[in-house]
Amino acid sequence: MSDTFLIAGAWISAGLTIFLFSFLYKDNPFFKVAEHLYLGAGMGWWAQVYLYGVLRPKVWAPLMNHDWMVLVPTFLGLSLITQFIPGISWISRYGFTFLMGYGAGLELPTKLATDFVNQIGGTIQPFVNVAGMSSFALFNAVVIAGGVICVLIYFFFSVEHKGAVKKASNVGIYFLMIYFGASFGNTVMARFSLLYGRFDTLYTFSASKYLYATQFILAGLAVYFIVHALMNRGKKEIEPAQ
Amino acid sequence: MLKEKLNALLRIDRRWIFLGLTVVLFGAIMRPLGLINKEISKDTRNAYDFMEKLPAGSFVILSLDYDPSTAPELNPQAVAVARHAFRKNLRVGVVTYAAGATGLIEQLFAVVPAEFKKEYGRDYIIFPYQPSAVAALTQMASDLYGIYDKDKDGKDAKSMPVMLGVKNYKNISLVVCIAGTQMPTYWVQYAGDKYGVPVMAGVTAISQPGYGPYLQKKQLKGLLGGMKGAAEYEHLIDTPGKGTSGIDALSLAHVMVVGLIIVSNIAMVILKYL
Repeated sequence: MSDTFLIAGAWISAGLTIFLFSFLYKDNPFFKVAEHLYLGAGMGWWAQVYLYGVLRPKVWAPLMNHDWMVLVPTFLGLSLITQFIPGISWISRYGFTFLMGYGAGLELPTKLATDFVNQIGGTIQPFVNVAGMSSFALFNAVVIAGGVICVLIYFFFSVEHKGAVKKASNVGIYFLMIYFGASFGNTVMARFSLLYGRFDTLYTFSASKYLYATQFILAGLAVYFIVHALMNRGKKEIEPAQ
Repeated sequence: MLKEKLNALLRIDRRWIFLGLTVVLFGAIMRPLGLINKEISKDTRNAYDFMEKLPAGSFVILSLDYDPSTAPELNPQAVAVARHAFRKNLRVGVVTYAAGATGLIEQLFAVVPAEFKKEYGRDYIIFPYQPSAVAALTQMASDLYGIYDKDKDGKDAKSMPVMLGVKNYKNISLVVCIAGTQMPTYWVQYAGDKYGVPVMAGVTAISQPGYGPYLQKKQLKGLLGGMKGAAEYEHLIDTPGKGTSGIDALSLAHVMVVGLIIVSNIAMVILKYL
């Protein structure tokens, strides 16, 4: 790839990132441009994915090889579009029926085995060999089994939550809170990782090799905000929602 | 007087916090502190050990199902796992069920195989994007070539040396799914539990707690969680990469957030009870 393309790519990438981040300061036309460009480019990109990644290899190519069986799933797929035409929308039921039958048939047995039967087994299994377990492993097994039972009791609404049921249900809430806390902590870490990724890219594009793309775009945006503020001095601005 | 100042502190314009975070993260990128990630989690260690024990020449599937929105977390994981696989002289087949991953896969495999002098077609193969993951996973159980008869460039896959003796799940020693989607669950459901193929995963930090039950039941042989998982794996293969360099920034950002939480809670207690 030539240097010109690399530099242009760096400026576009750094520019769009900074334009989108600029909304954190306040709404501005550069953010709007980046936002609309993102939506438009995204739509275009998905269109070509479906065209070249799905329709051409899965429909067009088999038809060109006289594989007429492919017409059956093609018509079932096309039938889904008829739901937008009131007069013939009933045809879409054939496509949906196939999807539901296929999906349920594939998903139900595997989901039951993986997420239900296996997990129940995993909760009970450690107690089979209590004598051979270390005290920590036993404690771990008791916490997991106790947690599962208490959380299930919390979501069991067919009996009134009072007495022992209420106590177990309350313990279930603590287990859920620990899960949500761990999940939220991990969410914060994940968001910082994404932010780090963008900042790392901006730092890369701040090099002389990329003609200081990050610095120039940041400086340009700062000049815009200063000029905009000076020109609108005294005018009341609508505060963005907090 | 103190209460007024504390009230002002609690009403601080959040843009100052954004600025603080920017300074902290950029500072860590520009001047790395070299904070070492010594703590290796059991799940990452298990993932590493499992791959380490595979004999050379084993065929491994790398299912890379992430797009640019989760790449900062997952790309370092994929790089580390690919490096480990090539270092162990494993044969690698790359598949994806996320359309946005194709460009990232091209980037990754333009660099990593060359570090180990690995050759396309002989040591690794990249299969094209498939839109329906469940259909593909089901088909691969009986005949892999029923869904992947050609590689990403439209060349015949079966005739490539890397695919020698590979027909279906029976010939696959390990599946490593690095995904920002639900793909690890599908691999466990349709390949792991059903056909006994060992599966390990690399996921975003957000979805990491949800995979705990699969680890407990050994349905997943190991799990890398977020950038920390990548840093741990890089440490294990002794090749620092983006995961390791990101730990500095993450650690400092977390210190800042914890600091803000502590300060604001102290302020709240003072305002409410004193």
